[in-house]
Amino acid sequence: MKILIRSAKIIQKGADLNGQVRDIFIENGVIRQIGEQLSAEADEIIEGENLCVSLGWFDMRVHAKDPGYEHKESLYSLEKAALAGGFSEIALLPNTKPTVQTRESVHYLRKSGDIIKFHPLAAVTLKCEGKDFTEMIDLHHAGAVAFTDGEHPIQNPDIFLKTLQYLSPIGSLLINRPEDTDLTHFGQMHEGSVSTLIGMKGMPRMAEEIMVMRDLKLLEYVVETPFAEIDTTLPLLHFACISSAESVELIRQAKAKGLPVSADVAVHQLCFTEDDLMDFDTNFKVNPPLRTQKDVAALWAGLADGTIDTIVSDHNPQDDESKNLEFDMADFGIIGLETLFGVANTYNVGLSLEELVDKLTIQPRKILRLTVPQIAEGAKANLTVFEPEKEWTYSTIISNSKNTPFLGKTFKGKALVVIA
Amino acid sequence: MQKLSTRHLLGIKDLTPEDIELIMATATEFKEVINRPIKKVPSLRDVTIANVFFENSTRTRLSFELAEKRLSADTLSFSAAGSSVKKGETLLDTVNNILAMKVDMIVMRHASPGAPHYLSKHISANIVNAGDGTHEHPTQALLDSFSMREKLGDLAGKKIAIIGDILHSRVALSNIFALKKQGAEVMLCGPSTLIPRHITELGVTVCHDVKKALAWCDVANVLRIQLERQQIKYFPSLREYSLYYGINKKMLDELDKEIVLMHPGPINRGVELTSDAADSHHSIILDQVENGVAVRMAVLYLLAAQN
Repeated sequence: MKILIRSAKIIQKGADLNGQVRDIFIENGVIRQIGEQLSAEADEIIEGENLCVSLGWFDMRVHAKDPGYEHKESLYSLEKAALAGGFSEIALLPNTKPTVQTRESVHYLRKSGDIIKFHPLAAVTLKCEGKDFTEMIDLHHAGAVAFTDGEHPIQNPDIFLKTLQYLSPIGSLLINRPEDTDLTHFGQMHEGSVSTLIGMKGMPRMAEEIMVMRDLKLLEYVVETPFAEIDTTLPLLHFACISSAESVELIRQAKAKGLPVSADVAVHQLCFTEDDLMDFDTNFKVNPPLRTQKDVAALWAGLADGTIDTIVSDHNPQDDESKNLEFDMADFGIIGLETLFGVANTYNVGLSLEELVDKLTIQPRKILRLTVPQIAEGAKANLTVFEPEKEWTYSTIISNSKNTPFLGKTFKGKALVVIA
Repeated sequence: MQKLSTRHLLGIKDLTPEDIELIMATATEFKEVINRPIKKVPSLRDVTIANVFFENSTRTRLSFELAEKRLSADTLSFSAAGSSVKKGETLLDTVNNILAMKVDMIVMRHASPGAPHYLSKHISANIVNAGDGTHEHPTQALLDSFSMREKLGDLAGKKIAIIGDILHSRVALSNIFALKKQGAEVMLCGPSTLIPRHITELGVTVCHDVKKALAWCDVANVLRIQLERQQIKYFPSLREYSLYYGINKKMLDELDKEIVLMHPGPINRGVELTSDAADSHHSIILDQVENGVAVRMAVLYLLAAQN
């Protein structure tokens, strides 16, 4: 198979070719030639207006529903949705049935995926119940790229601490979504003026902030262990789905202190607020909840100054039976793979295109200690071709589940094809 | 006659290097004694020793009892099970009741760190600590040193790796004190959840890779994984522990030198040591047991001489 990408601007922060318009010729998955006006014969020519090309996009937080909940999303439908969104690699949360806690489940995910590479995130505790550890060293060697209880924040500080201690010698990463669930019992949305207006039980922002504080303190304790040999250039702890302005500030201060920490934000947190819940639309029901304009601004500022390293979809497919319900009966979650780039690019505050792309390509791979591919002759192709100026309306959902508040919305910027 | 600097053996921490040398020299003589056809000497003929065990023990208790019998001491043994401890008697009352029967020396094992130290402030008999919780197990460290010296001679500059659950191990702490006092280098190896945070303040190094520790050391002292003392989870499973921290014979054979393999017992075969390693020519595990009797004879003999 020979593919020619015609006149695409290369977007890669810091690279020599950044900003250069080039033709790229790919043969059997390998970049053969990068040049101007290439005359190679190709089976497929990719052209477009304001065409750009970057490393393949990476989403490090996707809820896998396979095995166990294939009616919501199978790995097959997930791959199609991710490709439509421009992703060549995605990391999958362990909250499947069975939980990703054995070599077999790690292997199942790793060997699935036709074009896309699935990276398993393995559970920290059995069934993600926060009690007994999984065999983390063994799972690490089997190919788990990081450890997390996924949807379940680790509540017990001793379990959290011992996980960091246990993972530090093998150089792996703990991912935690910060939420003290004792403070959010029965919560349905952000605790604020809207939750008061619509009579819904709220989740206070401090539930997140308290756990960020706690986790950072525990991280500091581990890093300062006299005999610890921790490479502080790589994060040992990654915060998932930061949603509150104060969390951003806490992480900013921790990074300034040199703590090995990183963070992501879910893309829907960058455009919606609690106001969107006034109509009880369960497609906006997500955890952490949509907060306020002040938080949205702080999240963008965190992205711009590097406090937040990457944007994730937090793609969480839910079927009609879980969403088409009274608001407080409905499950949390939004699908977001297909719209991530369009949303981020459209609502972008303060990031250049190359900075935005950096957060979708190089940063997540660095956090997960994965090899960063290259745009170079002889390198294996791992590319996303996209049109950052293209206006498009999200009208056809490719994912198996339809729980998105983005349907019918118009965005600027779309992936054209993934070559990997 | 040379004397110890202490009336009790509460821990290695309080011993001087000279004390250790004296115990080693005395133990050498007693080892010769217990290999004679008549293994018994009359040294402690007029001494009564109570073995007070508030915690389970097999080999330590047998070893002490045998050492006492070889020295011709009168002995009585007490274990918490079936005793008045179950009826709510305090430690001090229990021991004072035993002492009222004119006992000269107490050998005690207790689950609380510092229990023998507490007792030493309130009673006049000599006390030998046979293990106090996760604190010290001095006679084990002494017999370990004795066994190492039989193999390697002077321990100054020798490299000793202690591998396993350091956090819950009284053997590890007593060994660290004993080895440092004899000039040895000590490396600790185990999952980072099982290594005390401030342990490097004792002048030891820490490593999390068993193969590196084995390649470094002259002696590997492998500790039992103490599942019974872990009320909190410190590692995922025995399977994972044995996969990444267990030692087998192949690992020993692949080293470019001979090392000495030790274990204080009881071994979890297939967990911290495979059978082929535990039973290999590297292993001096049964020598340790034999030396335990000689070393305990030396300790009891030297403490009795203090009175």
